[in-house]
Amino acid sequence: MVSYIAKRLAMSLLVIFVVVSLSFFMIRLMPGNPMAALEAQLRMQGGLSEVEIQQRLNTVYGVTPDAPVWEQYLQYLWGVVRGDLGVPITNPGTTVVAVIAEALPWTIMVVAVSLIISFLIGVAVGAVMAAFQNSRLSQLMTFVVSLLSAIPSYLVAIALLYFLTSVYQVFPSGGAYSIDVTPGFNGPYLLSVLYHAFLPITATVITSFGGWALGMKGSAVSVLGSEYVRAAEARGLSERRITQSYVGRNSMLPMVTQLALSIGFMFGGSVFIETYFQYPGLGFYMIQSVGQRDYSLMMGCFLLITVSVIITNLLVDLLYPLVDPRIASPAARKRAPDTPTDPDQEVLPAGGTIG
Amino acid sequence: MRFLSDLWRILRNDKGALIGGLIVLIYCLVAVFGPIFVQVGDEQDASQAYLPPSWEHPLGTDSLGQGVLEQIIVGTRPIMIVGVLSAVITIVVGVAIGLLTGYVGGIVDTVIMRITDIFLTIPGLPLIIVLASVIHTTNPFVLACILSITAWAGLARAIRSQAMSLRSSDFVEAAQLQGVSLGNMIGRQLLPNVGPYVAIHFLLAITGAIYASVGLFLLGVAPISGNNWGIMINLAMAQGALYTTDSAFYLFSPMAAIVILQVAFVFFSRALDSVFNPRLRVQ
Repeated sequence: MVSYIAKRLAMSLLVIFVVVSLSFFMIRLMPGNPMAALEAQLRMQGGLSEVEIQQRLNTVYGVTPDAPVWEQYLQYLWGVVRGDLGVPITNPGTTVVAVIAEALPWTIMVVAVSLIISFLIGVAVGAVMAAFQNSRLSQLMTFVVSLLSAIPSYLVAIALLYFLTSVYQVFPSGGAYSIDVTPGFNGPYLLSVLYHAFLPITATVITSFGGWALGMKGSAVSVLGSEYVRAAEARGLSERRITQSYVGRNSMLPMVTQLALSIGFMFGGSVFIETYFQYPGLGFYMIQSVGQRDYSLMMGCFLLITVSVIITNLLVDLLYPLVDPRIASPAARKRAPDTPTDPDQEVLPAGGTIG
Repeated sequence: MRFLSDLWRILRNDKGALIGGLIVLIYCLVAVFGPIFVQVGDEQDASQAYLPPSWEHPLGTDSLGQGVLEQIIVGTRPIMIVGVLSAVITIVVGVAIGLLTGYVGGIVDTVIMRITDIFLTIPGLPLIIVLASVIHTTNPFVLACILSITAWAGLARAIRSQAMSLRSSDFVEAAQLQGVSLGNMIGRQLLPNVGPYVAIHFLLAITGAIYASVGLFLLGVAPISGNNWGIMINLAMAQGALYTTDSAFYLFSPMAAIVILQVAFVFFSRALDSVFNPRLRVQ
């Protein structure tokens, strides 16, 4: 168990290191990179001495531009470790960390709530579809669900925006809460937050629960056909016992694996959702900074999205041994080599191949 | 031939898959031949803006008085090119790496799989957005490479586990005894056995690439030049299509074009799945 966690932890740190290095590489080393562009721009404007230019660059990107590359790299790494990601070019009064610290909770809330809702709805719908496999209802539901899961989330967002914020003005078209409530733990504020988060969450759930439903259906159907379920029936176990501990638990296994895979996808989709609903989360700021060529803020958002994905993945990894005890004690796994599910046997992430 | 007759039998029984396949075929034909027959003119006439559908412009006109349907037809080709290119790159890289690591094993496998794991963990879409915004390309091939930056990893993993199970089969052993080269082993012995999986993944990779590339144009991350569905929606949104009912056709037509294509791909890939997976047919 300890080595399992240690392995996961090492892997997570490695990924973060890779992303930080990538971000350094893109900001500093690529031909025509943003830092060189900013330097050229400052020089063009004139009025600044060479030293002042270097200082400006240093505050924005957190590295000394005329130092050797490896030294800049170390500076950058050290800055990230201390939680210093530089200053947004468009708004030098604040820091990148301050901006993204404010945005992160909104993104996490919307992604977590929509993931939980779509997981629950999807698994329930999938279980029903598997239970009544050959009925008309199940066929119809399979059709509807595959239809919904094939529609890109941003198009649903645009349609919702069109019908619910401009044709019928039922919901607000932006922001995380209205300006006339005071943030804090009080009724009006919480209601306003819910009201503003409703459309982003709805758009995400509509397009993502279908993937869960189809996955759950496939998994439950294959478990239903397996021999240990028939053996359990033959032993005369109660219907309830079979459904819960034999079919339910085993068909949930690949779903939990898929949970880890789809978190990255959800965070990716949240970029579109937040931009369209003008919801002040990480994705919103990321796209805004792309539009304003504010690369330090953009890389900060990207880094934080990656870290959030990694941390949630870790949580799922820790959850997994609880659902499947074979992971935690490999000895038990050897005794049962023919497991119905294998974590490596990839189920396609809900919604497509680009996570 | 066997494959085609199987496919036809499945398609005949599964109406959804048949329609999906037909729609995909139509889109391909439009992408190839559409721009030959239909052109978006240069003349812009503001008095013709936001016209309702008519014989001349079956889907109405945009804010510059140009036909929406014409733009959709012309915009099919760039979208399909990027989608297919990106899927090809994803498949080639994913299959090559999966087969190689699965067959060779050992230290090569461990190292490459760790790298694959990194790509699997990094959220794909944000990475694509970051890369596209820094590279800022209009070249479809470069765009396709950016779009497939993380997509190959999942495929490589799946192919690897299949290659590992093939490694112990008789025909691989026979080939080993004949002393075939590594290239022959992977290309001629292993590849045909993962073919079905690759075919289905190819279709899904196209839908994924279209999803992401349209998204890039929508958000204005990729440079706005030329004509495709993402750019159309982007411009419609930028001109306030949300707030005028006149422009509903302008906004919703490219969206419908995307949705129909994506849904068609998914339904068609389901038919392919049951052609290759006889077990699914029994259930």
